[in-house]
Amino acid sequence: MALLEVKNLTKDFDALRANDHVTFSMEKGELLGLIGPNGAGKTTLFNCISGLHPVTSGEVIFDGEDITSLKAFDVARRGLARTFQVYVASGDLDVRENVMVGCFMRTRSPSRAMARADELLSDLNLKNISDALVSELPAAAQKRVQMATALGSNPKLLLLDEVAGGLNPSEIEDVMAAIRHVHENLGVTVMLIEHVMELVMKVSHRVIVLDSGVKIAEGVPEAIAKDPKVIKAYLGERYVREHEQELV
Amino acid sequence: MEAVKSALNFSDFPRLDLSIAGLVAAFLLLFPVFPHSSFAMATMIQFLMFSLYGMGWNTIGGYGGQVDLGKAQYLGIGAYTTTVLLIRWDIPFWVSMPIGACLAVLWSFIIGYPLFRLKGHYFAIATIATSLVLKDLFEVWEFVGAARGLEISPIKYIPPDFLRLIFKEDVYYYYVILGFFFLGILYINWFRKSRLGFQLRCIKDNEHVAQSLGVNVHWAKIKTYAIATAFVSIVGSFHACYIKNIEPEDTMSLDISILIALMAMLGGAGSLWGPIIGAGILIPCKSYLKEWLGGTAGLAGIDLVLYALVIMLVSAKEPRGIWGIVDRIRRRKRS
Repeated sequence: MALLEVKNLTKDFDALRANDHVTFSMEKGELLGLIGPNGAGKTTLFNCISGLHPVTSGEVIFDGEDITSLKAFDVARRGLARTFQVYVASGDLDVRENVMVGCFMRTRSPSRAMARADELLSDLNLKNISDALVSELPAAAQKRVQMATALGSNPKLLLLDEVAGGLNPSEIEDVMAAIRHVHENLGVTVMLIEHVMELVMKVSHRVIVLDSGVKIAEGVPEAIAKDPKVIKAYLGERYVREHEQELV
Repeated sequence: MEAVKSALNFSDFPRLDLSIAGLVAAFLLLFPVFPHSSFAMATMIQFLMFSLYGMGWNTIGGYGGQVDLGKAQYLGIGAYTTTVLLIRWDIPFWVSMPIGACLAVLWSFIIGYPLFRLKGHYFAIATIATSLVLKDLFEVWEFVGAARGLEISPIKYIPPDFLRLIFKEDVYYYYVILGFFFLGILYINWFRKSRLGFQLRCIKDNEHVAQSLGVNVHWAKIKTYAIATAFVSIVGSFHACYIKNIEPEDTMSLDISILIALMAMLGGAGSLWGPIIGAGILIPCKSYLKEWLGGTAGLAGIDLVLYALVIMLVSAKEPRGIWGIVDRIRRRKRS
């Protein structure tokens, strides 16, 4: 049985159709990439799946249960966690406290939440900055804090919204290692939105491409990179030329 | 058990803070022993009462970031419940106080459920409106004495009456409210480290993030609003026995609601010591300014000008108040 099934999901913002009959499913243990040009409706799709936006029509089935009309917090409690592309931290919580909020989803006890948070912090190499305010951290670290926080709730599925956006190559390596660690060692199924092709093509088992709200392609990374529709809509000729060797 | 331990555990504060807190606690315990004027005693009691109001406000307003400017309505509910129950049925304070708190919390659910659909300024304005409506209702409600209010006649009781909280000397009231004050600190110390405390701080940061972490944002706010309400209502009950003469104007007016929020914001919203620091600064200021200036040359109301100035300064310079400044300096030193 699929862990996540999205059937004909459509989302309208007044006259704008952000997601148009999107259908896909993912298995437990999979690592699925979601790519597409800006404004393709990737984040909207995440928002619909995670319950932040009510969907216009369609269904979302998670772990055998219809979660389409559930509120975001209810979806989260069922084991579907996510990170946000833009996270405006007001500067009240430090790193450990942030991660603890995630852990509090599974326990009432502050000492247990703190123990779990410390575990995750060392897992994701954040131990040395655990007392820093999140708002004062560089973007790369903020993204990893968000990942740790989401993991605090012991999710079955983790949606990552552009965790590598705006990072330099060595930071991208760090994030990639973190994603692999989460997926392989912690056994969490992962779906990620990403613009950084090096990352998404390397780590994903399968990639879905959205353009103007419509799913235009789906397949293994090698096939997606050669798909003429995807090249035209998103990747561009240059990407294909530069990566010709790797792709063959 | 863990909750009690957590309430008694202040170890995450630096030693300097704890030394200062210890000195202040010792001073508060010994204050009545020193020679003092009755005016100073009254000011100290007001300070303790407003610290407690501020601590209550701080849960929803400070940790949760929901600026509530209608706390006085709950003060009124507590004060009126205790007075009415005492006058009509001779029900003592220790029974009427929890009844008042329950009524206030019930009212806070009725108010909170729709109000927390609103955000930011709209929420703040709505809290003012509900508080003023309740005050207006009490001003025409004959059962509770309408605008004249109610009076607890002390000659009916034999002081010191610990059950009804009727005393002749202020020192009794002082120690009763000091007991509540210490309990309030322990409660908030537990609260800020509890799951709800963390969830609220996350809500203040970003409600979408909080939801994605399984927090029922609406319900968490309503629950915390009820906690804040209980604090205010309990002290309101005390206020009734202490002042013995309550009317809508001096229990439910907008001034009181604003002063409560202002003290917590000045001292440091979202910190354990903030409301106490704020009350420690503003209450003596208010008392003595009234005493010195109020009588002379039409300067009454100068305290209101002062509050306005404080609000502007705090919101422009350091939204986290005095404690925010301390915190910032400390973080800079560490890094």
